[in-house]
Amino acid sequence: MAKLILSTGNIVSGGPSIVRKPGASNLELINSLKVSFQDAQIDYADEIENTTASPTTTTATNGTSNGVHEVQATNGANTTTSTTVTPGPLYWTEKTQNDTTETIFVPRIDWESASLSEERSQYDITVKIFFLPTTSPDVSARAAYTQEALGLVLKELGGISDVDLLVVSFPGMSFDGDCEWEADKLNAAQGDDEVEIATWQGAVEKLYTQGKVKRLGISEFGTEKLSRFIKRVGVKPAVDQINIKNCCNVPPPLAKLAKEQNVELLVHSDCTDILPEGTLRELLGPQGAGLLADPKVDGSQALSGNLTPQWVVKYTAVVKNRGVIENKGYFAGAELN
Amino acid sequence: MLTLYQQLLEIWNKAKGKERDAMLWGDEIEYLVVNYSKDDPKVLLSLRQADILKALADSKTLKVEGDCAPGTEANGEAGNVTLPVFHPEFGRFMLEATPGKPWGIDFKDLLTVEADMKLRRCIAKDHMLPNEHPITLTTFPRIGSPGVFTEPSYPVSGPKLRSQFVPDEIANPHIRFPTLAANIRSRRGRKVQVNVPVYRDENTPWPWKDPTVNYDLQNWPEDDDVRNGAAPDNFIHMDAMAFGMGSCCLQITFQAKNITEGRKMYDQLSPLGPILLALTAATPVYKGFLADTDVRWNQISRAVDDRTPEELGEKPLKNDRWRIPKSRYASNSTYISTDSRLRPEYMDPNLVIDPEIKQQLLDGGMDDRLATHFAHLFIRDPIVIFNEDLQELDLTKTDHFENIQSTNWQHMRFKPPPADNSIGWRVEFRPMEIQITDFENAAFSVFIVLITRAILSFDLNFYIPIVKVDENMETAHARNANLEKKFWFRKNPFPVRTTRRGGSASRSASGASTPSGGLSRPATPPLGPVEDEYRLMSVNEVINGTAYAKATSKEVTEDAEEGEEFPGLIPLVESYLDSVNMDVATRCGLARYLDLIRKRASGELWTAAKWIREFIAKHPEYKKDSVVSEEITKDLVGAVIQIGEREKRGLGIDDLIGQVPDLDKLFGNFLKGKSPCGGALKDYEAALGQESKDDEVKVNGVKRKFNEDE
Repeated sequence: MAKLILSTGNIVSGGPSIVRKPGASNLELINSLKVSFQDAQIDYADEIENTTASPTTTTATNGTSNGVHEVQATNGANTTTSTTVTPGPLYWTEKTQNDTTETIFVPRIDWESASLSEERSQYDITVKIFFLPTTSPDVSARAAYTQEALGLVLKELGGISDVDLLVVSFPGMSFDGDCEWEADKLNAAQGDDEVEIATWQGAVEKLYTQGKVKRLGISEFGTEKLSRFIKRVGVKPAVDQINIKNCCNVPPPLAKLAKEQNVELLVHSDCTDILPEGTLRELLGPQGAGLLADPKVDGSQALSGNLTPQWVVKYTAVVKNRGVIENKGYFAGAELN
Repeated sequence: MLTLYQQLLEIWNKAKGKERDAMLWGDEIEYLVVNYSKDDPKVLLSLRQADILKALADSKTLKVEGDCAPGTEANGEAGNVTLPVFHPEFGRFMLEATPGKPWGIDFKDLLTVEADMKLRRCIAKDHMLPNEHPITLTTFPRIGSPGVFTEPSYPVSGPKLRSQFVPDEIANPHIRFPTLAANIRSRRGRKVQVNVPVYRDENTPWPWKDPTVNYDLQNWPEDDDVRNGAAPDNFIHMDAMAFGMGSCCLQITFQAKNITEGRKMYDQLSPLGPILLALTAATPVYKGFLADTDVRWNQISRAVDDRTPEELGEKPLKNDRWRIPKSRYASNSTYISTDSRLRPEYMDPNLVIDPEIKQQLLDGGMDDRLATHFAHLFIRDPIVIFNEDLQELDLTKTDHFENIQSTNWQHMRFKPPPADNSIGWRVEFRPMEIQITDFENAAFSVFIVLITRAILSFDLNFYIPIVKVDENMETAHARNANLEKKFWFRKNPFPVRTTRRGGSASRSASGASTPSGGLSRPATPPLGPVEDEYRLMSVNEVINGTAYAKATSKEVTEDAEEGEEFPGLIPLVESYLDSVNMDVATRCGLARYLDLIRKRASGELWTAAKWIREFIAKHPEYKKDSVVSEEITKDLVGAVIQIGEREKRGLGIDDLIGQVPDLDKLFGNFLKGKSPCGGALKDYEAALGQESKDDEVKVNGVKRKFNEDE
């Protein structure tokens, strides 16, 4: 099994991908991943000729040469890391291997340049993790995903140690419908309370108690779900993100509950199924970034296997007293079997 | 004169390293004060500015009571009110009000702006006579018309203004103002000439000769002006500073993080100026006649144009140093940012600078672009200088520099910190016309604030050549320019994506104080001809984006070719809002503002200029001869007062619909008692118990000085 880590880099000055499209959408993620892949392919184009047909191991160099990208242990998480050549179609990616897992960064990430321009205290940093319909419901797996996703964000933002808000998005939830009252009712039967509560208790709350996250939030919880949720969890969410067509029509029961429970109702425009399996395959497949092998072509050096998206994380760093978004981007994790 | 640059260098040296100032901003609302009662056949301008200001100053705490008391609509949150500040203005019939402390960027703050504006209006009204009202029309329709138009009334043709239309007493009697007017007149060697094309209606005699011009007056040498052709056919002729400087504007001042960010904002907001001027158009009447233009800008420009015949190019240069293509009040002539995207081709090829001053500034260590900017401002003579300033110059004071700076009225202003460095580098956005209601004024103010945040966050690029911005400024004057004209605008506002490979290309988002050391991508496209970077767009397309404009434009077709779609300022702002944490009620309130602007830009709603034109056209007294009579003026002002009264009290304008024509065209569903949004918002807030966090913004002693100037 290999693990893929997809990343967009900072998209805030990345051009048109940021332009809003009406309604909830994953276009920002998909478009910025595309741009990120294209850019990396251009950036590392000079290494194509140096890549060799079969993976070899080298210890001769530091940095990059002969298509070898040497990788430092990431953030103390992995203790042993080996250095691997990235073969042909993968020249713009980066592979790391520890005892158990092979991780492929798509594209390569130049961690050296990861930073915030001012000190941590100047920023309001929000992270939103999306569990997907394809995400394993297993709590320990989800805890690992959350750890990993948050770890990547902390590293990407220059090795900071905490974030201000972590919002958790669960699959199968929405606030859809022409009438917000109706949507609130429908919402009550959506998702899976048991899995959500178990995830929260087993994978999320400890980040709060450990001080890695100052506030916790959830997404798309209507009145009934929110009230059931609050009754059972240890650390109450401080935020509920809702996506409603006309933001003026908050269902009054939800507004009331939020007020009573001290839950801030924030708006968002993400869709919950932010990275469907098929979309990911298209992105990385022969018609996309060319990372996944075309089954019709024999002997491809590209990756093959079954690709399952496991999580997506969005992060935003806003300079507090100036309202300027300095950094915004996504990571996504997928498993290749 | 030499001391000027020394003073500037002193300011610059002291403040150039100033860093990390918070985003603070302030608005300025200017009012006309009118004397109106139902029973009086005439509406008059009140000249009691001094008394009103005194009353405001005397009531020690500006006691907030009655209509304006805490808890009423005009006030909002109880006990949490910073009292506004009132200022004199050039016109003695004017008043200016600014918030008691600058606004921050807490998004909830943005929604208190409207309430604060209402409070200002309310307090102002409370300190006036029962028949006096503060209104926010840009100009008084019959200022300078024959007969009585002020209260009290004075004879025209005084020694200071020497105007045959307005008395000297029209100006604020503080020595500064009449001196300013007299200096301009004496420098020009004649009176100012403010000529506006008259609107030709069915019964307008043609050629049209301004019937109010007196060709026989012999009181002053300047009375010869009209005999020497100062009043051409088909133009409404005006001859005094009051016709321009008596206009009300909506100006916004922003504090930047540092000088670099300030310079960037100055440049990036500059091309937006003409668009916002056209979109806020509110000035279709002058001196009792319908004009063929919709905005105030050029009239103010001409009303303070102190250029001599030599400077104007009418005579060969002999005594003066240079020919000057623009008035002191005009669109910007410089870009000043250190942005690498600023191409030399964008600069004004006709820029006039004082080379000696520029050299002094360069010698003092200032960079070329900024030195050029100030050396350009300094081509103007100081037109108001008090004797005491000349005798002793204190380098720790900025008054002298401020004097030149504040009598250069360009559509953007770059403001260095004051002597005590208590405020940061600021940029003022000056082109917008004041709107009839505070809802609209708040909407436009907040919109500009949000645009600046989108510009800085997304590193947007709106550069087009300055000559094109000038051209746009002229275009913005046309009747219905908002819907019928097109403006030069940059096709692609996005930055070229920088790569991270091999080093820190991580961008310092707000005014790069850290140099971007990243390798630029080898594939960075070479720059094409500047002409390929921009094209003509309607206001609708600039504001709402190509797709929306194509779907909604009736008057014009969009030129966008495949791949040239412009995203639109509102979608860019919405993208920004989508990326920050915002509570539902705040987002709803902001959406309401964006909605107003979207509809004004698409033509779904009318500008104030259009509404006023239609009001006049439909008035039974109107004879289709371009004449805006006293009775029409009275009814127009009366309608505006009624709208204002209702807004102030938090009542809808529903009962006025039908009584006052076309209010639905001006406001749509806004300002109705129970608008779908406003109503729900109130319910929502009620559910929340009107909670308001007291997020005191650190103001560093910044109070009234923040956006103080002309």
